Amino acid sequence: MKEILIIGNGISGMMCAIHCAELGMMVKLIAPGPSEQSQSVMAAGGINAVTERHEEGDSVQCHVEDTLKGGAYLAGSHAVEGLCSDAKEIIHYLERIGTVFSVDENDRPVLRAFGGQTYKRTHYCGSSTGKHIVSALVMEVRRFEAAGLITRIMRHHFYSALIRDGRCYGALLYDENARVLVPVYADALVMATGGQNSLFGKTTGSNRCDGYAVGKLFLQGAALKNLEFIQFHPTTLETPQKRMLISEAVRGEGGRLFYKDGDRKVFFMEDKYGPGGNLMTRDLIAREIIATGRDVFLDISFIDKKLIDSRLPEVRDICAKYRGIDISKEPIPVAPSVHYFMGGLAVHKDHSTNIQGLYAVGECASIYHGANRLGGNSLLSAMYSGKIAAESILGENALVERANFDSYIQAEQECFKKMLESDSPFAAMHIRDLLADTMREHMSIVRSADSLSKGMEDVRYYLSVADRIHYDSSVSAYINYSLKGILTLALAALTCADARKESRGAHYRSDYPTATEEYRAATIISYNEGNMLVTFDRENTYED
Amino acid sequence: MKIRILRQKAPDSEPYWESFDYEGTKEISIAGVLDKLNFGDDIRNDRCEKTDRIGWESSCLQGMCGACAMVINETPALACETFLKNLKGDEVVLRPLRKFPVVHDLIVDRSVIHETLKSTNVYIGEYNPKEKEDHEHQYAVANCLKCGLCLEICPNYTNGKSFYGAFYANDCYLVKARNREKAKDITSSYAEHFANSCSKALSCMDVCPMHIPTLSSIAKMNRKEADLKVLLRKK
Repeated sequence: MKEILIIGNGISGMMCAIHCAELGMMVKLIAPGPSEQSQSVMAAGGINAVTERHEEGDSVQCHVEDTLKGGAYLAGSHAVEGLCSDAKEIIHYLERIGTVFSVDENDRPVLRAFGGQTYKRTHYCGSSTGKHIVSALVMEVRRFEAAGLITRIMRHHFYSALIRDGRCYGALLYDENARVLVPVYADALVMATGGQNSLFGKTTGSNRCDGYAVGKLFLQGAALKNLEFIQFHPTTLETPQKRMLISEAVRGEGGRLFYKDGDRKVFFMEDKYGPGGNLMTRDLIAREIIATGRDVFLDISFIDKKLIDSRLPEVRDICAKYRGIDISKEPIPVAPSVHYFMGGLAVHKDHSTNIQGLYAVGECASIYHGANRLGGNSLLSAMYSGKIAAESILGENALVERANFDSYIQAEQECFKKMLESDSPFAAMHIRDLLADTMREHMSIVRSADSLSKGMEDVRYYLSVADRIHYDSSVSAYINYSLKGILTLALAALTCADARKESRGAHYRSDYPTATEEYRAATIISYNEGNMLVTFDRENTYED
Repeated sequence: MKIRILRQKAPDSEPYWESFDYEGTKEISIAGVLDKLNFGDDIRNDRCEKTDRIGWESSCLQGMCGACAMVINETPALACETFLKNLKGDEVVLRPLRKFPVVHDLIVDRSVIHETLKSTNVYIGEYNPKEKEDHEHQYAVANCLKCGLCLEICPNYTNGKSFYGAFYANDCYLVKARNREKAKDITSSYAEHFANSCSKALSCMDVCPMHIPTLSSIAKMNRKEADLKVLLRKK
């Protein structure tokens, strides 16, 4: 029986685990905490699918076209066709396992509109769709735990992959309770570690999604893709502890963006783009908000309070709790913030990487969203990628012979022990904070060669000191050892942004403000003996 | 303002109290305060002695994941949703949840929650409802964070060996409501691990960050449990 190791237990990790178990494989599902603490629970808006209940005129092909167009034609078209074609089955699956979707009076799921979509095709569970999908999947994982096919292991973190001659044999994990590194061998290693939030400090997402695993795998030879494409959610609310996301559902329900010019409200999106202006894609709205140079507000106060209470209760609660704003009476002050990473580990449409036996799913993989992601497609791609990876793994040959990693493991354990025994008061968190300042300043919504160059200079400096500092052993060892991987990933992202001398999707360069045919290809970056090499995938290597 | 914290270096070491001075805005959550204390240049206690950084857990920082559950001024609550401006006095007392083993400082091991659900097969399987659903209640119940606050406040819950607590009643209801095939088994587990020991103090509802109406789950489950008792007596 094949043994599969999955790192990350959000929606994509759980879906992969469930489907591997359904296909008769044994799974170890690794994460620092329970799935209820994964970033997936924060996905608010919904999940896209054209089902038999679709709006008149809608079709799978239309969903495909919307997705490719939203991604500025950089997404893998074969992969997107697979994603959109299977979306109906994914909704049915979620219904079958008891997900509590929002339904009409006949108990049929209701649909809402999302930005960049031609038709209403977003299924949702109030304003907490991700949470309800997690709740349903957790129960399914439990079913397979009872059957002995899935083993959940918590309080463990990814440390490194066990890779030899282009083949992955498992991973070295950090056991937080025992404070030691432990090897786990497997026929396939699946990464489901989410986005790269910590590169930017406090974002709308979970602080546990920090990009370390992707940065570390890059150092170990995994190719990365499209790192410059970072989605800024146009409507977030500033609070002392983080940026709170104001769901696109508010605009889906009719919310209007405006700024004040004296006593006059200027509905700048509608003025420029017509009645549908508030539902334009996220990158465009984010740039338009920045371009106003004013304080921008999102108003939903004009709709019936009962509709707010029934359809937007989470948004209502966030505004009231963290800022004392009653959204049924006053507009919400909003500004863009980092929200989603279209880039990550480069995967083929079967979710394999350039390293045999290593797979990636969910937000840490890059394939469906191209240069920008449509709202409602992240939950869909998390579900679908987990499922497809499981099927690919089933078709792969099991490991016949295990490579010997004893000397590597011993060396890493010794190095790790030294780090634990260090007694410096220096917190690696300080460098993470410095990195976040650098990225927010130089890798923001509008970039230029000058800003990116300054960003790279900063990160190179942080990297140069990262190895020489002894860290505070009273913080989690993970925070300390993860620093180099995170910094490396940040440098790779800046390097990709510098190489793409055009503007496309979520990547906007003030010195190259238009898209050019030359760059209509995915960015691939690889690492070899200290050097980063950027290429553009004009041959569509990762299309199949 | 003093921030007094019950600390513990490791699972098997002795707990101790340590206080910190916090000077700053009161428009900040306890999560924000812990962040500020931890990531100054040094971390020093109120006697100006250098000390270890404070261990605590967080993930979403907006009341959706339950990671930062702790006891704040003797009330179980989420650190990210408890604001200094709403607390009385000049001292805030933080301690880890008492019903779970301490891992480090304010971090506890809540795996018992998942173990009990696993050991008693609390999963829906296939959606197969019996009657018109109480959709609104099921939506509320599926919001459960598994944060453990309901267990911390419960006068009946000790260590999860026999009585499992409010989260269990809610999950049992969700399974029963969404798969009639499992109604009998789940009602039996519910009776054994919840109904027989719950004294209906309902303090769990006061502290639930998701405001889950557990009483409603109990009422719906007890209706079924009464049927089961009749059935068992007949046997």
